[in-house]
Amino acid sequence: MSNKLAIELNVNGEPHDVLATAATPLLEALRTGLGLTGSKRGCNHGVCGACTVLLDGKLARSCLTLAVDVGERPVTTIEGISQNGTLSPVQQALLDAGAIQCGFCTPGFVMALTELFAREPAPDREQIRSALSGNLCRCSGYVKIIEAAERLAAAHAGEHQ
Amino acid sequence: MDYVAPLTVEEAWRALETEDARCLAGGQSLVAMMNLGLVAPSRLVSLRRIASLRGIAKEDDGGLRIGAMTTHAELAALDVAECGPALLAQAARVVAYPAVRAFGTIGGSVAHADPAADYPVALVAANAAIEVASATGTRRVAARDFFRRLFETALKPGEIVTAIVVPRGPTNGRAIYEKLSLVAGDFAIVSVAAVVAETVTIAIGSCGPKPLFASGLPLEPGALRDVATKLAAASDPPSDHRGSAAYRRKVLPELVCRAVRAATT
Repeated sequence: MSNKLAIELNVNGEPHDVLATAATPLLEALRTGLGLTGSKRGCNHGVCGACTVLLDGKLARSCLTLAVDVGERPVTTIEGISQNGTLSPVQQALLDAGAIQCGFCTPGFVMALTELFAREPAPDREQIRSALSGNLCRCSGYVKIIEAAERLAAAHAGEHQ
Repeated sequence: MDYVAPLTVEEAWRALETEDARCLAGGQSLVAMMNLGLVAPSRLVSLRRIASLRGIAKEDDGGLRIGAMTTHAELAALDVAECGPALLAQAARVVAYPAVRAFGTIGGSVAHADPAADYPVALVAANAAIEVASATGTRRVAARDFFRRLFETALKPGEIVTAIVVPRGPTNGRAIYEKLSLVAGDFAIVSVAAVVAETVTIAIGSCGPKPLFASGLPLEPGALRDVATKLAAASDPPSDHRGSAAYRRKVLPELVCRAVRAATT
């Protein structure tokens, strides 16, 4: 077995010390090291998107990111999305549209939509579908997820008129 | 397993002297294989902090020298007119998903040499070269010679992929990357990279252990389909959950024709 290394991760704006081997994915460090279990382990090889986090502000597979290789780059997980118990606009939009079935994929979808709306406040359907192309919902509840994003986009577009 | 993150390629070469050491680029293939238990390197040499492996520079001929650690997202964002680099940018746009494109690198993908991946096909069609370097020197290997077999390349022990060199391509050429996949972001069932000028140069992916290459093909649709059908008959595609070998041979000529049609209309 590999020796564990003490590393520091900047997660949701706070520094955390965690023990990880060279092979420990960020996902595992978050879930078992820091108790941040919102990011889900689905496929564990980059296909399903349930483990999606923001790394350096960019969408990242935490299962394909090694904890030791994160370095100084900030990590944002689903736990860092709501502020003081208030859901983010993306979370609220998903809730309002009933875009949640079993919920396992939801954190990943929230992260993907959060990244999309941060760079494009009023995306069209094609942009939404493209941004969500790396997230699987095994309940196949895509229609309502896309509707939720479209409603949020429409609300943003309305604000800018 | 240990982990090092050198700041220079010279330090990386020294770190790679350890038996079974592996370079870690974007990790989007290597870490997946580690998680699946397919590889267990003795040491990971992260290339993330090596500045000289980043950046895109123009070559004298109008082509591009692309640092190995350039991400798919960076290549996808390229707005270039020259058909060689444009072909690569098109391929980059359909590699996997946004999260993978944000961190996966061209150098990593090339060194991994998955026959279903998008870059090898585009690089072979664009007549690109892979720049590799070790402590004993730097060399450029034509993409056609670099990809040898399933996950096998011309890289020698101690060598690192440092850059990809893509020539500008024919002045009046147009390039198209055509990919057939089950869903957006999946590996290709069959992919075709075409450079269309007076004649057609193509590379075909997912139809054998390395990209198929053919040049001097006719533009005329009937003649093109005949040649593509012969290529399909001679190809050695795999049968897997994405499609049977027979299916791949069947769609290959259609994809070739579609690519050339798209490039000429």
